[in-house]
Amino acid sequence: MKKVIFIIAGILMASGAAYGSTAAEIIDKANQATYYQADDGASQVNMIITDSQGRTRERDMTILRYDEPGSREQKYFVYFHKPSDVKGMTYLVWKHPGRDDDRWLYLPALDLVRRVASSDKRSSFVGSHFAYEEISGRGTEEDTHELVSEDDEFYTVKSVPKDDGSVEFSYFITKIQKSDFVPVKAELYDKKGKLYKTIEALEIKDVQGYPTVTKMKATDLNAGGHTVSEFTDIKYDEGLDEDIFSERALRRPPRKYTKR
Amino acid sequence: MFRKIINFSVERPRIVIALVVIALIVSIAQYPKIKVDTDPENMLSEEEFVRVFHHEVKKEFGLYDFIVLGIVNEEDTEGVFNPETLEKVYTITDEIKGLDGVISYELMSPATKDDIEQAGIGAVSFDWLMGEPPYTEKDALRIRDRSVENPMFYGTLISEDAKALCIYVPIEAKDQSYRISNEIKDIVNGLGGAEKYYITGLPVAEDTFGFEMFKQMAISAPLAMVIIFFLMLGFFKHPKLVVAPLLLAGVTVLITMGVLIGMGFTVHIMSSMIPIFLMPIAVLDSVHILSEFFEKYQKVGDQKKAILETIEDLFMPMLFTSLTTTAGFFSLAFAKIPPVQVFGVFVAFGVMLAWLLTMTFIPAVIAVMKKESLADFGAKEEHTEAGLMSRFLLAIGRFSIRRWKAILIGTLVLVGISGYGITKIVINDNPVKWFTPKHEIRIADEILNDHFGGTYTAYLVMEAEDAEGELFKEPDMLRYVERLQDHVQKQGAVGKTTSLADVTKKVYYELLGGDKKNDVIPPTRQAVAQCLISYQNSHKPDDLMHFTTPDYSKVNIWFQLKSGDNIDMTRVTEDVEIFMEDNKPPFPVRSNWAGLNYINVVWQNRMVVGMLRNFMGSFVIVLFMMIFLFRSPVRGLVSMIPLTVTIVFIYSLLGFTGKSYDMPVAVLSALTLGLSVDFAIHFLQRAREIHRVKGNWPDTADEMFREPGRAILRNALIISIGFLPLLAAPLVPYKTVGVFMFLIMLASSAGTLLMLPAIITAIPGIIFDEKEKPFCKCAYCMLTAFLVSLTVAYVLYGYTKTSWTLTAVICVGVIVLFAGICNFVARHKICIIQEKEG
Repeated sequence: MKKVIFIIAGILMASGAAYGSTAAEIIDKANQATYYQADDGASQVNMIITDSQGRTRERDMTILRYDEPGSREQKYFVYFHKPSDVKGMTYLVWKHPGRDDDRWLYLPALDLVRRVASSDKRSSFVGSHFAYEEISGRGTEEDTHELVSEDDEFYTVKSVPKDDGSVEFSYFITKIQKSDFVPVKAELYDKKGKLYKTIEALEIKDVQGYPTVTKMKATDLNAGGHTVSEFTDIKYDEGLDEDIFSERALRRPPRKYTKR
Repeated sequence: MFRKIINFSVERPRIVIALVVIALIVSIAQYPKIKVDTDPENMLSEEEFVRVFHHEVKKEFGLYDFIVLGIVNEEDTEGVFNPETLEKVYTITDEIKGLDGVISYELMSPATKDDIEQAGIGAVSFDWLMGEPPYTEKDALRIRDRSVENPMFYGTLISEDAKALCIYVPIEAKDQSYRISNEIKDIVNGLGGAEKYYITGLPVAEDTFGFEMFKQMAISAPLAMVIIFFLMLGFFKHPKLVVAPLLLAGVTVLITMGVLIGMGFTVHIMSSMIPIFLMPIAVLDSVHILSEFFEKYQKVGDQKKAILETIEDLFMPMLFTSLTTTAGFFSLAFAKIPPVQVFGVFVAFGVMLAWLLTMTFIPAVIAVMKKESLADFGAKEEHTEAGLMSRFLLAIGRFSIRRWKAILIGTLVLVGISGYGITKIVINDNPVKWFTPKHEIRIADEILNDHFGGTYTAYLVMEAEDAEGELFKEPDMLRYVERLQDHVQKQGAVGKTTSLADVTKKVYYELLGGDKKNDVIPPTRQAVAQCLISYQNSHKPDDLMHFTTPDYSKVNIWFQLKSGDNIDMTRVTEDVEIFMEDNKPPFPVRSNWAGLNYINVVWQNRMVVGMLRNFMGSFVIVLFMMIFLFRSPVRGLVSMIPLTVTIVFIYSLLGFTGKSYDMPVAVLSALTLGLSVDFAIHFLQRAREIHRVKGNWPDTADEMFREPGRAILRNALIISIGFLPLLAAPLVPYKTVGVFMFLIMLASSAGTLLMLPAIITAIPGIIFDEKEKPFCKCAYCMLTAFLVSLTVAYVLYGYTKTSWTLTAVICVGVIVLFAGICNFVARHKICIIQEKEG
């Protein structure tokens, strides 16, 4: 009996390699489905950050995205609505897959624009349980990927970072829907091999024909606490002007998208 | 009733011994149930406000008790900031994270902290302070410069001279800190190199103390036993018989602890000291018996008869010495500190058990001994006259009678000087100082507090009266916090404080370009909020929540103190209070303290003050017992003189030597009271008995300085010397017990053998009046009234919630009532007749 299972497994694995997708391809498609739908996008984002004691903080913002045609380069513009005393704060991110991003930040209370330098993308996104790159996407070439299992619905891929020093995890496992390559869950394991963080897609909707995660949750299993992000008023292919994604726009955000 | 029991013990000794053995077996059977608790926090009941608040604060701000690992490099010119040392720090941090019971994600180390700094023109960087070990010396020095620039690190993570850095290891539970600290030692021991490692922090000190304490229980107590054995052997020259008191002490301790464990009480720092307290008390009783038996045996010839006679003589004094000791300890039951209550009640229990065993077990053991084995035992008729001790005693006797004036004047002078010494007593405690100065914890404590802002932690939590307004985003409020920190830091006791104000300032001036002139609180509420939300873009956004709550209605100011002395902590709280009195906060806020260091202050103050009150109360109760025993207030008062002088003398030494009146000393006051009065009781009781036969004081005195005097002196020697090995213990409280035993025995035996004879010589009638009609004397009556009212006051105030005013009213009532009774009694026929006769 054991032998039979072994043979079947062998056939399955062989067929997977021959006819299905390789791990790197799957991850690539998942990355595409999550961060590169359409040519641009606009969305209202509401984040509820809940700590281990159940206390909550709220972040409310508008996020605009622009994809450089013909490359993987992207630009993000973030405008804060809440908390009310940070209203008008803006962030600009020029995402460069494979190297450090460029980031700027504008503080209206001080009328101050600052470039933010960081050697990694693992720092928190405005105090939430999401890391920067979990909002804007992690470069697929930064890890080696391995398909650990698949069934009728999902691929399960294990990704191991090539540069171990720049991240706090030793590997992460992503579960990806076969139908549309939308990742539904990621589990991050620390250097001791302990699961310490999960990111889940709580709601996936079709927006203008694109399958889109509209609600996601990051959970910190160490300290406890989680953040739920909800995306509403999502619009794709808005024809956003690249000028919106410039340092100058930090002080003059596009009213069309930031006014409520 | 008691006579029957004692007769039974002598007639049926085997049954008594069997009963004792059964009790012993039952008690020992309880030992597997032992629950050990070394957490000093449990000195306060769990419902206590400060404890509840402390735990709320810890939870609210995500704080943990921590072990401090200090890494010092004195050899490298750049201190710890060289690639080698920092690489070790990196490795150590990583390994400590993997230890059980360590909260790894809250570990504070240069390798786990995020920093904000300038990154070229118009740019700031949020990055790890030490994301990876530096490769070059230049990189190492950059880490140093960045740490020095960050007020969250400077004085906390790295020392002011850059020679040392600290890793703060947060732990899940304090009772694991001894184990974890040992595991950390294992990690660092294998590394070699120029670095020195030190581990400190209150949890480690406390947990290590717990560990060492149990070790001492197993070393000191048995060692004291061995010495006592040899001393007794020297006096009584009979190994078998000498074993009996030790057996008795052992049985008393084992049964008492068995009952304690069996009843489900935890063995706490306090209760672990029960054996060391019970042993001398238990031995004391049986030494009196043996001593008297030793004198009587050869005269009487029959062992059963001799022991019965001995007990006959000693019954009353023994009962009363035990009762007074019990009273002293039982008063601890009202100390409102749960472990002290348990301690008091069980020592009291043990004392009475020791008394019972002395009355039954010792006679039983003597009764079962073979007659031949006792042949050589006992004092040969009068030949001891020539002995050193006898000659010494007779000399003392002559001296105290001839020079009674000198002795009384000397006593008054001594009390006067002692009184001055007592005014100099400093009430202070510090758990780290429970270790001797050479203990590694003390050394680590000294070195690290020399380098850093301080390893002792307290938290001042400020809370907005209006919880809705996100008050601590207000610049005015943050400036107030900043000023408070400045003020307190200038007063000296505080090494460093860190708060939301520091974080805000740091972020603000880095955002503004790193100019130190901008090291201030941002001008507007919006600016504060925007700085703080920028700060949360770090790897550790939750670090902010150690200083405030998500709704900004509270702030937590972290105080680092250089010493664990209560006095210093108390001073800091007073400084803060004064500041807040003189400078009203711009918005209404409440403030409260938390933190281990503060909790210690609370329970230690309560203990010291509570003990002092209980001590006064017990004093009155013992006085009452003496009045009852000697059936006269005056004789009662006289019997208290040696005790009072002893106590005043011993406590004045604290004042003169500068030793703090701390927790162990406070507990010892109960022992001092209980033991000091013993010799006086024996002396007076025996003197009165002998006086009844001899009829005059000189003859009585002559007799007193033979056998009764020898018993007192023997006891004093056995206990004082027997407990000297405690001085070698590495724990200061054990040393203190040793010193106290020595002093109590020395002072109270000297007091008894010198002062009492001198007083009696001065006024013999004070002790031996024939016509006992104390009722008739108004003074006696009023004195009794006064004492009763004192007792009532003590009971009401100490044990119930009656206020002082009501207590005073009740006391006046008692005195008036007694005045009435006195008046009525004085008109009684007998008195009138007596007066006429007089």
